[in-house]
Amino acid sequence: MVGRLVWLKWRLLVNGVRADRQRAFGLPIVTIGVAAIGFWLAARYGKTAGEMPAKAAGDFTLWVMLLAWLTWTTLPVLLFPLDETLDPARFSLAPMSRSQLMAGLTAAGLVTPTIVVPVLVLATNVGVFSGPLTALMALLAGALILLHLIVGGQTFTALVSLVLRSRRGRDLAVVIVSSLGLLGFALQQTIATAIGEYGLAGAVDVYSLSSWWWALPPVAAQQAVVAAAAGSWGQAFLALAVSAGWLLAIISVWNRLLLRLVTTPESSPLRSNKRVRPTLADRPGWSTTLIVARKELLFYVRDPRLRMVWTGAVIFLGVIVATLLIGTTQLSDIQRAGWLPLIGPMVVIFIGLPVALNQFGWERNAASFLFALPVAPRTLLTGKNLAAGTALFAETLTLSIILAWVSGGWETLPMVPPLALTAIGCQLAIGNIVSVLAPLRLPDMGTDLFAQATEQGCLAITAQMASFFVIGLLMTPPAAAYVLVVEFGRNLNPVVVSVASLAYGAIIYSIGLWIGARVLRKRIPEMVAMVQTV
Amino acid sequence: MTDNSHPSVWAKGLVRRFGTKVAVDGVDLSIGRGEFYGLLGPNGAGKTTTIKMIVGLLRPTAGTAGINSLNTWRQPLEVKRKIGVLPEEFNLYERLTGAELLDFTSAIHRLPREAAVQRRRELLKLLDLEDAASDLVADYSRGMRKKLALAAAVIHAPPVLFLDEPFEGVDAVSARLIRGLLQQYTARGATIVFSSHVMDLVERLCTRIGIMVHGKLVVEATPAELRQQYGVASVEDAFLEVVGAGDMGEGLEWLGASSG
Repeated sequence: MVGRLVWLKWRLLVNGVRADRQRAFGLPIVTIGVAAIGFWLAARYGKTAGEMPAKAAGDFTLWVMLLAWLTWTTLPVLLFPLDETLDPARFSLAPMSRSQLMAGLTAAGLVTPTIVVPVLVLATNVGVFSGPLTALMALLAGALILLHLIVGGQTFTALVSLVLRSRRGRDLAVVIVSSLGLLGFALQQTIATAIGEYGLAGAVDVYSLSSWWWALPPVAAQQAVVAAAAGSWGQAFLALAVSAGWLLAIISVWNRLLLRLVTTPESSPLRSNKRVRPTLADRPGWSTTLIVARKELLFYVRDPRLRMVWTGAVIFLGVIVATLLIGTTQLSDIQRAGWLPLIGPMVVIFIGLPVALNQFGWERNAASFLFALPVAPRTLLTGKNLAAGTALFAETLTLSIILAWVSGGWETLPMVPPLALTAIGCQLAIGNIVSVLAPLRLPDMGTDLFAQATEQGCLAITAQMASFFVIGLLMTPPAAAYVLVVEFGRNLNPVVVSVASLAYGAIIYSIGLWIGARVLRKRIPEMVAMVQTV
Repeated sequence: MTDNSHPSVWAKGLVRRFGTKVAVDGVDLSIGRGEFYGLLGPNGAGKTTTIKMIVGLLRPTAGTAGINSLNTWRQPLEVKRKIGVLPEEFNLYERLTGAELLDFTSAIHRLPREAAVQRRRELLKLLDLEDAASDLVADYSRGMRKKLALAAAVIHAPPVLFLDEPFEGVDAVSARLIRGLLQQYTARGATIVFSSHVMDLVERLCTRIGIMVHGKLVVEATPAELRQQYGVASVEDAFLEVVGAGDMGEGLEWLGASSG
């Protein structure tokens, strides 16, 4: 049964590549890239540990294993869609025991290009400490750590899948994901600050995990290697046993999660709330453009992933606040910059990219409903742009006001609205064209920040990246004019710059809207096919 | 305004290929005003693909289609104003409420606000969705979604209605209501193109039936003509004759033999 699941994972991987030209192109590139990263990380790991004193090297390897485990367990779920190829719920009717299922899923977890990274690091770990017996212990511990990575990842995925089974859970998951993202950033900042203060060897000594190894599953396994290298074989075997015990405990939790996953149907409870909400017709504005815009705005609030996109500004603020609290020197310097409010439009443009460049991808399967209706492409784009522009403008103003408060740069604040409108115009102009030429299909479920479907490959992503640079290029003239006003003693009249900037933005936007509408008129069936997941 | 000199729904030489597979192979259709036309066929026969090409959701590889004097591929907006579509995969906006979805549809069809509100209320009441009007579509059951999709398809009273499996997942009471609604609809001159696997319903509702096999429209007749032509008692039997149903007498002897 284990072999069948491994075979199944392999077949799904191969079939996915065969069925999708973009994936066939992207997967080898990703595999080569991942392998290169793996070799680089392994080399850095071996070199850094080798250059440290023995005690610091031991502490360093403990930290590496902990971070590897945390990253491997959570990152795929946070950054990429859940791997549904071997969704345990699909095996609920298969005649196999849960232990067989778990063993099969664990073995199948090895069938992925990214596995090369931990395998290379763990292989290097065998050579970090001298002595054949230590190397043998490192091999044993390495196998255990690899199991910890896979089982930990599967357990976390099962937990997230369970949460995602209900709509409310999916809403909640987005909050959890953003919180985890912020925690990850705070951890990275803390580590960077500690290393900046004490140096790497000093930092791992000050924040040593050697007295906490028993509480941290993969650290316990690595402690076995460190203890063996120090000749403490009793502690080495104890640590190995503790790590194995942790593994069994995590497997037990996974087992319970799987039991719930395969026996609980996907829930979509009908709410008993009989409150009658005001509907679209009860509110002002009944033109097609306004109705499309209002539909979009409702989705910004109600769709958890769109909400996630729009809370990007909040996350950015959280990052700034966390940075100021932690006191990272490089970033805290900006606290005194008078031009800080002008960053607002740039940040929000970056945050709004997933919406602006993929306006029809967010329609998902409802695209066939929308495009069966008699809505003119220009009206549709205008409605969508109105909603996106409103949200971008409101976020920009809010963010810039807060940044003005943080930096005291109130005098640059009046320049924010025209700069923001120009930036929004340029972004939506390019967004309209890219949205109709290269829409990204978005999965219905998942927790990834960018709501990216795996089958899109890297070509669509490349198109999106290129668009970002084009937007940046278009923004160069107005941004340069504003820089001249702010940084070079107001050689240019700010009112003239603002008016010229607005005119420039309006022209660029009109061109983008015209092209987008013309292309959309000819490509409606293709758009439906590209964004639908069923 | 309805143009009586042209068929309500027409298709000329419709072809759709997906790679090497020919899903629809030269379909010609001419459906008159007030007809209740049943498009039948086994799974994968090309019914849904044909409907999608007529309504403008899928580009034909060859051929063309339209409504009255309008060509779907030259005047897509005008065609979409005249049709209502209930697709097989009723992909609605999950994060709108039922009432909001109907308002959205009405506004796109440029119905006056008062008419939209009145029709929304009447449809939700008729389809027993009043209590769920303020719930998100994401919380609707399959049958409720089907009924809501039907309401969205008829709210602007289109002269032509395309229904792909409209009774799938709908309870018996609602199915009866929907049947009545559709019959009234055609009685007032509207045209319905209807795809279903429920032969009993097809026989009772349809004035004319087209049967597709392997992407081709192989038979077109009234239910009575179909029964007579194949010398059978029901449309279902005629359908099985046309599509060549497999003989269940041989093979699969092992099925049910296991006493586990």
